[in-house]
Amino acid sequence: MMSRLAVWAGFAIVLMVLPLIFSSSLGLSILNQMTIAVIFALSYNMLLGQGGMLSFGHAVYYGMGGFIAIHLLNMIEFETLMLPVVLIPLAGGVGGLLVAVLIGTFSTRRAGTVFAMISLGIGELFAASSLIFESFFGGEGGISGWRDVGPTFFGIDFGQQIEVYYLAAFWVFMATLFMYLFTRTPAGRMANAVRDNHERAEFIGYSARKVRYITFCAAGLFAGIAGGLFAINYEIVTEENLTLVTSGEVLLMAYIGGLGFFIGPIVGAVLLTLMSSVVSAWTDMWMLYLGILFVLTVMFLPRGLSGLIIMHGPAWHLGRLRLLILPYTISAVPALLFVLTLMGMIELAHSSAQEFVYLGLPLNPEGLSSWLLLAGTAAVSWLALQRTLPQLRDAWETANALPRPKDAQGEEN
Amino acid sequence: MALLSLQQVSKQFGVTSVIEEVSLDINQGERHAIIGPNGAGKSTLFHLISGKYPVSSGAILFDGQPIHNRPPYEIARLGLTRSFQVTNIFHRLSVFENVRCALLWSMGYRYSFWRLVDREHKLNRKAEQTLEELGMSDLRNYPAGELAYADQRALELGLAIASGAGMILLDEPVAGMSLSEAQRAVALIRRITEGRTLLMVEHDMDIVFDLADRISVLVYGKLIASDTPEAIRANRAVQEAYLGEVIENA
Repeated sequence: MMSRLAVWAGFAIVLMVLPLIFSSSLGLSILNQMTIAVIFALSYNMLLGQGGMLSFGHAVYYGMGGFIAIHLLNMIEFETLMLPVVLIPLAGGVGGLLVAVLIGTFSTRRAGTVFAMISLGIGELFAASSLIFESFFGGEGGISGWRDVGPTFFGIDFGQQIEVYYLAAFWVFMATLFMYLFTRTPAGRMANAVRDNHERAEFIGYSARKVRYITFCAAGLFAGIAGGLFAINYEIVTEENLTLVTSGEVLLMAYIGGLGFFIGPIVGAVLLTLMSSVVSAWTDMWMLYLGILFVLTVMFLPRGLSGLIIMHGPAWHLGRLRLLILPYTISAVPALLFVLTLMGMIELAHSSAQEFVYLGLPLNPEGLSSWLLLAGTAAVSWLALQRTLPQLRDAWETANALPRPKDAQGEEN
Repeated sequence: MALLSLQQVSKQFGVTSVIEEVSLDINQGERHAIIGPNGAGKSTLFHLISGKYPVSSGAILFDGQPIHNRPPYEIARLGLTRSFQVTNIFHRLSVFENVRCALLWSMGYRYSFWRLVDREHKLNRKAEQTLEELGMSDLRNYPAGELAYADQRALELGLAIASGAGMILLDEPVAGMSLSEAQRAVALIRRITEGRTLLMVEHDMDIVFDLADRISVLVYGKLIASDTPEAIRANRAVQEAYLGEVIENA
């Protein structure tokens, strides 16, 4: 109980301290993007991770929350509505919830393929509508507005980025807290039960459809909150927020982060936001790297990156984590070199410049020597990596060696 | 009055008739077994009673109320639950979570999303008690999917009784168990069905004759006899249709 409180207090402190560390304009804009992504990815995990519903159209609730929020901001500006901007994310959430209440009536009848196909269809439907109903969706240009409208909140008008950050931080904390608490309620527990075995859930008294419907509506609410924050942060919402691309991105975040754990989508959202801003500034090829990361995760880390972290739990409890530090470092050197040389080759193939500088190394896309250098380094580092693996495996076994601990835990959700 | 009453229940799949006009009364507190050769329609009959399949004609009354053609969750809420022939548990949840989920509806939690299960002490105490009854307390934190087969079957039973249902249907509860596992399972069944009404399908004749107060024999969708174990043993029609060699072997 106390340790759980400590985790939440730590989360709040991290949220408060982050903008002091990353105080540049770029830093703040990435942080704002991150908070939005975290809420969105967590809401997606309510569907897929908790409720077993694979959605290809979760952006619908995010986008609709965003559109409703931006329209409300405009109404506040023209003084047809009195609402403090602080509450706009919640209003976006209510928007997402209402759409989910409507769509969920028929989409949650079945899980599995049927649900996935309906979500895809609904996603396309909304994306197509956004270009047809221009008065609401604003056509290709979208709808824009201003966030420094209406009454100020204790003198804060949210004109500054840092003010937006603290607003977003407040909402990400609340949303995360309530999404976590939802997993601990009877409805949340039964969402897991229905995910595991919808037939059995019916024989213990629960309508699987109703359980799915409740989870679906809750996921719509939180996606809408993320959309409302998007509207405040960017002051514009376009059809792009509703499309399959956005739905795909949130699926990637949740999956790469790890569906089985509550913190998984947070890890995924933070990592992918970083990649999309930092890596994309460095190379045009970042989408390719993201794709490769996704495929590797699906193939080798079915529990995602957070699964990789949680795998170290037993060794941690045995106090043997330090046994792994040296072997990890030894393996990391050739592994890193291998990845960097592969990326170098991809970048080289992509580049059309005569002189191409990669990691301080002048390379020539048309010169054979550059290619040989990279390929040679890749091959050598791969072989070196193979040589280090047996030691790594031994160290892993020593660190985890013990008859199965008595307090083995089921997945937490 | 009978607790469960089947009145001329029939079930067809397309043109194939699987259950033909079965009428059967099961009394409060009785342990009743349904036996019959493979393909006789025993599991289908269970699916009709528990609401998995709709009936083609006839009526099923539980505690005086018609329950045929109603969804499984409504039947379960009335106090009639079942186990499955194939292990049917929540495999990614811990053993404790499995039992706790099975308790939720009967303890009145419905679909609430404003109460936290960890703070509901009565619920958690009841779940611990049920685990104790099942003899599974030391397995409480294991994911159900990782349990040994016999333990999964015991948990399966636990899910069926956790809700405090008055009537339990058990579909081949000891199938696939070793002799000693089966003996333990029978003892468990005897203990946990004390004061409840039990309807079971089972192939193992020793267990059936040991456990049941009454036995019904189903052959090709028709009920050919329904009586005490002694009378069933002596029944010529049953011997011809099904039991003959088993009894000679016994």
